[in-house]
Amino acid sequence: MNADAPGRADVLREERHGDFDTKLMRINVGPVHPATHGVLRLVVDLDGETVMGATPRIGYLHTGFEKTMEHRTWQQVVTYTNRMDYAHALGHDLAYVLAAEKLLDARVPERAQRIRVLLTELNRIASHLLGLGTGLLDMGALTPFFYTMRERERILDLLEMVSGVRMNYGYFRVGGLSRDLPDGFEAKVQAFIDDFPAALEQYFAMFLENEIWLARTRGVGVLSRETALEVGLTGPSARASGLDVDLRRDAPYSGYEDYTFDVPVAEEGDAYQRFVVRGEEMQQSLRIVQQALTRLEPGPIRDPDRRISLPERHELETSMEAVIFHFKLVTEGFHPPMGEVYVGTESARGELGYYLVSDGGSMPYRVKVRTPSLPNIQAIEPASIGGTFADMVVNIATMDPVMGDVDK
Amino acid sequence: MAVSDLFEKDFTELERDGILFSTLGKLVAWGRSNSIYPVTFGLACCALEMMQSTNARNDMARMGSEVFRASPRQADVMIVAGRLSKKMAPVMRRVYEQMPEPKWVISMGACASSGGMFNNYAIVQNVDSVVPVDVFVPGCPPRPEALVYAVMQLQKKVRGETFDEDGVELPMVEGWTRS
Amino acid sequence: MSGASILEDVATRLGELGGERADRGGDVHVAVPADAIREAVRRARAGGFEQLSDVLAVDWSEYPRHDGPRFTVIYHLFSPTTMERLFLRVAVGDGEAVPSITPQWRGADVFEREVYDLFGIPFDGHPDLRKLVTPEDLDGHPLRKDFDLGESPTLFNDGRYLDPASFRAGMLGRDAGRTGWVGGARKGVVSEQGRDEAPSDGDGGTP
Repeated sequence: MNADAPGRADVLREERHGDFDTKLMRINVGPVHPATHGVLRLVVDLDGETVMGATPRIGYLHTGFEKTMEHRTWQQVVTYTNRMDYAHALGHDLAYVLAAEKLLDARVPERAQRIRVLLTELNRIASHLLGLGTGLLDMGALTPFFYTMRERERILDLLEMVSGVRMNYGYFRVGGLSRDLPDGFEAKVQAFIDDFPAALEQYFAMFLENEIWLARTRGVGVLSRETALEVGLTGPSARASGLDVDLRRDAPYSGYEDYTFDVPVAEEGDAYQRFVVRGEEMQQSLRIVQQALTRLEPGPIRDPDRRISLPERHELETSMEAVIFHFKLVTEGFHPPMGEVYVGTESARGELGYYLVSDGGSMPYRVKVRTPSLPNIQAIEPASIGGTFADMVVNIATMDPVMGDVDK
Repeated sequence: MAVSDLFEKDFTELERDGILFSTLGKLVAWGRSNSIYPVTFGLACCALEMMQSTNARNDMARMGSEVFRASPRQADVMIVAGRLSKKMAPVMRRVYEQMPEPKWVISMGACASSGGMFNNYAIVQNVDSVVPVDVFVPGCPPRPEALVYAVMQLQKKVRGETFDEDGVELPMVEGWTRS
Repeated sequence: MSGASILEDVATRLGELGGERADRGGDVHVAVPADAIREAVRRARAGGFEQLSDVLAVDWSEYPRHDGPRFTVIYHLFSPTTMERLFLRVAVGDGEAVPSITPQWRGADVFEREVYDLFGIPFDGHPDLRKLVTPEDLDGHPLRKDFDLGESPTLFNDGRYLDPASFRAGMLGRDAGRTGWVGGARKGVVSEQGRDEAPSDGDGGTP
């Protein structure tokens, strides 16, 4: 029988208690809990210390994103997209602008695509650092958290240089970017790339050979590839279970086909591999950042089509058409033709996509966000059945859900 | 803050005569203000900035918030970090009621203070309608430095160095209330 | 992309169940009747679409030139071997139910519950169909077009009221709001955009 098949809980009870009539203890974990990564509530059935069932109850961060987006213009929606998965905010921004650009059939210049890739990968590293640090924090290792936060602060400084905010950047626009990179940015990114491998070595030295950490993660929360497909798990957790899908490599977008990088995949599917896969992904993301940085060339950063992108400010002094386009775009926004489109991207948590429906108006008709964390939390239960309660905490940490992504 | 700032007049007395007269309330308020323990109530994006405010660069522990207590029974302040959805509001009220007196609330970020950019059916438009807020922190999200400053303002409030809108000095938090 | 394309093969097998091609946005969409969805998903899964990416719904009640049932439930499938996508569309009217695919595919659980919560489309045979994200005391289904966004007007210190809805009224084309301007005139208009290719959909909205 598959290690995480349904019905395993009953088999376990049979094995443990035989003919005795025992009751399960049902406890509530969350939504205010130090180890649930946000406002995740789990209703856990325990037999002693062994978890027999863990049903997620969500909705404590439901913000009505999709409804709100129907009442904002296409360009204004970019402000909202990054608040869903606030750890990998640029992943959402990128997926949305790619979908809107597909609807518009916009041509985004090379430089804008490369900058997008560069910043998204930097954000991915920051997200994995956060996941790593908080995952270790949930297991009781308090020190590595401060070390990963040190590097995360450096990345946030870089992103603040570009967009002005440390988190929830409003940097991407449908058609390109809002403004170009500041002077000195590339030197700072290069300095970061040079320093980061040593920092990674430092983190790994802290826990990779630690007996306690190995005992808490090896063989814990094993998920098979079949179960990953059954519950819809995607992303690094699924790759740790042997599901070899990475949309950056397999269905490339925004120029990812030009970059050389490996996709770490493991077979065991335990918490150990989920940690290690994320660590290796950080190294691969660093490679992409280096390649994107080296290939940056001067050029335009927005689609020159006046119907989508605002004209340059100096043009407003000489061209009447520019003024009219500017006026229409600022007051009303652009109008994608009627139709539906889906663009799937790879965020730090898994497959992230935007399904956009346009009715030709200035606001989206329907925005459906395929967020990775919503099906990912369905994987907590099969991973945790048969393990102890402490193992369930490790499983939640390694699935790395972000509740803004789950509840939308 | 140093003991010397709290009791300026008394300090000279202490140095001269070797003895210090003060009120117990002042001493208690000084102790309380320098050990405000928050309860873990991170909701959304502001929670990440709250975590960043505890890291080595913006060390909030030097303000006295040494640890974030998971149990509200052991906490002094609730930092509402993030958008409060209507489903979460009763949970928040319950956590607030479980905190022992004296307790304070910092509403961190635009979403907690006013609903932020989310003006819809799902988000509570001002956390003050659920719990009484002492300090509002603007920002989306507020920088960690802003949160540290908010904690410092709260410290002033605890010690009785704050003023209301008309410039009238507010009294120090009463040390011995039972509610 | 590894392996030969399985899209056409699966689309043909879905055609046997009454499925019709309704491609849009560069992807393969197949409209299947509601009572055939379980078998359709089973065949698609057996044909190689092993990952259920999403189950979503669209409310067409304010879509220009739409005639037909009010909702479409879209099943978004992905093949991890050939990296292809398939969208199955089920047209369903207000109050009608769709057979649930959760008994055969556990991952559909949260997706179907979310669609039920936000749109009010029930799924027959779902093991635990209840609200997912909205509070218990919220009546109604928020993502329906007739459900109000629920905006609170902003009161400024000097007594002015800012009503967000009337600000945007013109843009949505529904009413003139405060300025008297009604935009949204481009709704339902297919723009050429001056590009080489014509836009992919001449008449949107048919599920």
